[in-house]
Amino acid sequence: MPLLEVEELRIVFDTRKGPLCAVDRASFAIDRGEILGLVGESGAGKSLIATAIIGLLAPPARIAGGTVRLAGRRIDDLDAEAMRRIRGRAIGAIFQDPLGALNPLFTIGRQLEETIRVHRALDRRAARARAVELLRAVGIPDPERRLDAYPHELSGGMRQRVVIALALCADPLLVVADEPTTALDVSVQAQILRLLEQSCRERGAAVLLVTHDLGAIGAIADRVAVLYAGRIVEIGPVAAVVRNPRHPYTRGLLGAIPRIGARPRRLVQIEGTMPRLDAVPTGCAFHPRCPHAVARCRGERPELEPMGEARAVACFRPRGAEGGLG
Amino acid sequence: MWAAVRKLRDHELWWHFTRSPLAVGSAGLVFAFVLGALTAPWLAPHDPFDPARVFLADAFLPPVWVEGGDPRFLLGTDDQGRCVLSTILWGARISFFVGVSAVAFSAALGTVLGITAGSVGGAYESLVMRAADVQLTFPGILVALLIGGIARTLVPPALLEAAAVWVVVASIGIAGWPQYARIARAVTLVETSKDYIAAAQVMGLHPVRIMFRHLLPNVIGPISVVGTIGLALAIVSEATLSFLGVGVPPTTPSLGTLIRIGNDFLFSGEWWIVFFPSLALVLLVSAVNLLGDWLRDALDPKLR
Amino acid sequence: MSAPPLVEAFGLEKRFAIARPWLARLADRGRGRFVHAVAGVDLAVPRGRTLALVGESGCGKSTLARLLVGLLLPSAGRIRFDGRDLDLRLGRRAWAPVRRRIQMIFQDPYASLDPRWRVADILAEPLEAFGLVRSRGERRERVEELLRQVGLSPADGQKYPHEFSGGQRQRISIARALASRPDFLVCDEPTSALDVSVQAQILNLMKQLQEELDLTYLFISHDLAVVSVMADVVGVMYLGRIVELAPSKELFLRPRHPYTRLLLDTVREPGRRGRLPLAGEVPSPIDPPPGCAFHPRCPWASARCRGERPELEPVGEAHAVACHGVEEGRLPDPRGAPVSSPCAAP
Ligand SMILES: Nc1ncnc2c1ncn2[C@@H]1O[C@H](COP(=O)(O)OP(=O)(O)OP(=O)(O)O)[C@@H](O)[C@H]1O
Ligand SMILES: Nc1ncnc2c1ncn2[C@@H]1O[C@H](COP(=O)(O)OP(=O)(O)OP(=O)(O)O)[C@@H](O)[C@H]1O
Ligand code: SF4
Ligand SMILES: [Mg+2]
Ligand SMILES: [Mg+2]
Repeated sequence: MPLLEVEELRIVFDTRKGPLCAVDRASFAIDRGEILGLVGESGAGKSLIATAIIGLLAPPARIAGGTVRLAGRRIDDLDAEAMRRIRGRAIGAIFQDPLGALNPLFTIGRQLEETIRVHRALDRRAARARAVELLRAVGIPDPERRLDAYPHELSGGMRQRVVIALALCADPLLVVADEPTTALDVSVQAQILRLLEQSCRERGAAVLLVTHDLGAIGAIADRVAVLYAGRIVEIGPVAAVVRNPRHPYTRGLLGAIPRIGARPRRLVQIEGTMPRLDAVPTGCAFHPRCPHAVARCRGERPELEPMGEARAVACFRPRGAEGGLG
Repeated sequence: MWAAVRKLRDHELWWHFTRSPLAVGSAGLVFAFVLGALTAPWLAPHDPFDPARVFLADAFLPPVWVEGGDPRFLLGTDDQGRCVLSTILWGARISFFVGVSAVAFSAALGTVLGITAGSVGGAYESLVMRAADVQLTFPGILVALLIGGIARTLVPPALLEAAAVWVVVASIGIAGWPQYARIARAVTLVETSKDYIAAAQVMGLHPVRIMFRHLLPNVIGPISVVGTIGLALAIVSEATLSFLGVGVPPTTPSLGTLIRIGNDFLFSGEWWIVFFPSLALVLLVSAVNLLGDWLRDALDPKLR
Repeated sequence: MSAPPLVEAFGLEKRFAIARPWLARLADRGRGRFVHAVAGVDLAVPRGRTLALVGESGCGKSTLARLLVGLLLPSAGRIRFDGRDLDLRLGRRAWAPVRRRIQMIFQDPYASLDPRWRVADILAEPLEAFGLVRSRGERRERVEELLRQVGLSPADGQKYPHEFSGGQRQRISIARALASRPDFLVCDEPTSALDVSVQAQILNLMKQLQEELDLTYLFISHDLAVVSVMADVVGVMYLGRIVELAPSKELFLRPRHPYTRLLLDTVREPGRRGRLPLAGEVPSPIDPPPGCAFHPRCPWASARCRGERPELEPVGEAHAVACHGVEEGRLPDPRGAPVSSPCAAP
């Protein structure tokens, strides 16, 4: 049984003009100790899925269908209090802005100790020792002294390390990381990604890594799910998807990434932009931008169908399929 | 014209407005007052300032529903036999005029000082903003009293009667500028840090042109919100000054002047002379204030 | 690079007083503390080519860009445009003779267009500012031409900026910059706020416009892969200085400076797991380390590096590096940019 199972998840916004569907029947699963990357462009609905899983979806957004199971137990219909306990114990969360996740008024030591003591019956001294251990584990030099620092006294990279330590302090089963490196310097991003990977693998925690950066996913994820306009269009092992993308959108996305060494006169570009929520096209949401669209794509929505080893694609004409593109 | 109306109807603000009974109610009340004040010369049943039509014999008549009331005077008459309802309509006219002019004055002054302070910076900015800070530590009415006093000593006595209203406008106006300057400067600082201002600078546009074409339109929104709330304050200030006898002269009484006159008769039983103008003032000021508060909340995306 | 460069800078510096109120500065008699955002930069942008500046947040890229377009006045140094020195004693007016020929594209597509103006008016503003159109008809024609040039439709002129996506807004920004028919475009991270697929569209557009209009670009980015696609010459910046300057191909094949190597090691591409990156973070430009500013993070730092600042020295044709280790020849051979996995795209 997978650790996290998301099935047919639907998220809508209640607006003045009626409900707007932002995530439409998204299904995926993460095994214990696995890292799944969720990639997509801005507005695709990545953060919505992440916040729905950790139970922090706030109006006007709400879950309008589907289920989320953690270790077999449904968590999408829990009340706020029960969900808060799960968030503390079984799910750790890391967000893009490390400053927002830390309380500016308390030292990082105090925040760590308190979080540790909520989950474990430890006295102050032991909690402090555990906090030092955690800070050392996330690569903060001189952790005994850093405990007394306030968040604003740390650099962005250091803060994100502290946030990772906070997320890991209850040894969660699942870590949900929403763009954990986007706000950081490039040279620090690589360190933080490595750290996230190592510390989660050591503890056997599964990770949902939400990002718009396919490079980050390539660096640490095992599998990747590609999200387009609120729908998962392709899912599979990272190496296979990158080497042989089957969905035209995945292919366009990979081609659009500039690469060192290759100096093309033009980058591959997907024409147009992702549709807004109130104007998602009929049929396959990608068809107006797709160079291979046929009549069927305009009328009928392709479902995510298994295709090859551990992979699935939502496309009528995926590459490598019979009748599809070569 | 119709396009403008349609635009207003489709605007988000209108949608919020129609869903807030408080906003609709206070807007209706303000509208009624504005209408009454504007049309006072025609609407008022009597002309209270025409000595030929005011008769001392009518003095101290109570409102109609009180015993001894006269059907000609709905809300009764004052010590000189003037119709209270008519004096209120005329008084609201003066109060409105002074309030709006004073707010326009302080908004204009504050906006110019705030925008220039925000975009010029340096010693000039420090000077303007410190001046605003210092002035804000004194109650506005005190500043207005002080400025009014100075102005009265400067204006030749012969002109004092005619200039009295303008002296009040100027003193309330000057007392109010720091609020507007602070807001205008804050908006200016936010906007000048945005790149479209940098783009205009790269085009070599003159700083004054940038102020007018790019900064001013951004400042007007927040300034008009504060202006609405400021209007209530200005009307109260005017009433206070007039009540203290250093405001609008009794020959063209404002609501404040009426309250001062009526106050003398409060304990001799002619309560209506002070009661109705006070009620009018309270209603007017509360309605304007509520409208301003609503507008501020409706325009502030954080509060939605 | 035989033609004389279009834009040159010599010893360009910019110091910012650390945000202190004017009165407080007066109180300690001007002995304020400074951020040396740009600390002596020499560069030359070849005509019709792209010089790219790359470096991490806070290293002074935007400040340098703003110095070149005259949004900021340099604390020291000279700027030469098309062979003529700007007379910096005139302050901002120094740029008056070249205003029309230098334009800029900004990073944030949401802040760089006035939200209260229609797109047609935004595009017409430079036309009017430089007196380039005489009649309303001419104005409309030119605006439509600009919209078409950046791949928008003439009807878009009647819309407001909020009706466009980030990528479309960046097109509008480009159109505005092109309005005065400039020669030199300073592009400060023009695609950092965009998604990759939109980034590809904008980069393609910029390349195409460069060819058609013979534009010279100063292209700023923190993304080495984007730089490698756009640049002819690359300058790597660290804490206000250029530490390595080389033709693009040479730089990615034979990076010499340890910081350039670090940056290349952190490059992630979908098909690659990347090398284990160096530790350490960018120090504050308020108190830069003495000697080589990079020495706290450099695995090859020596005593000399901690005490003496390396100058930019040529190490081959058109390649210059500011590093004692390189000069002394004690650095291992450069590992070039990792060649990416065979591209999966069509
Ligand atoms: N209050 C709201 N009302 C209506 N739509 C909203 C609201 N908040 C967000 N959305 C829409 O929900 C969609 C999904 O947003 P989400 O934040 O999940 O995107 P994302 O994939 O995380 O993008 P990013 O990379 O920008 O973080 C977007 O199209 C956004 O416009
Ligand atoms: N107006 C200013 N006043 C004071 N300090 C400033 C000012 N502008 C920039 N700085 C400082 O100068 C340094 C360089 O800033 P700059 O914006 O040029 O960096 P950058 O390389 O463009 O970074 P980013 O990638 O974040 O845009 C930073 O430390 C910044 O804090
Ligand atoms: S000068 Fe020294 S410290 Fe600086 S980069 Fe070169 S070897 Fe490293
Ligand atoms: Mg997001
Ligand atoms: Mg910058």
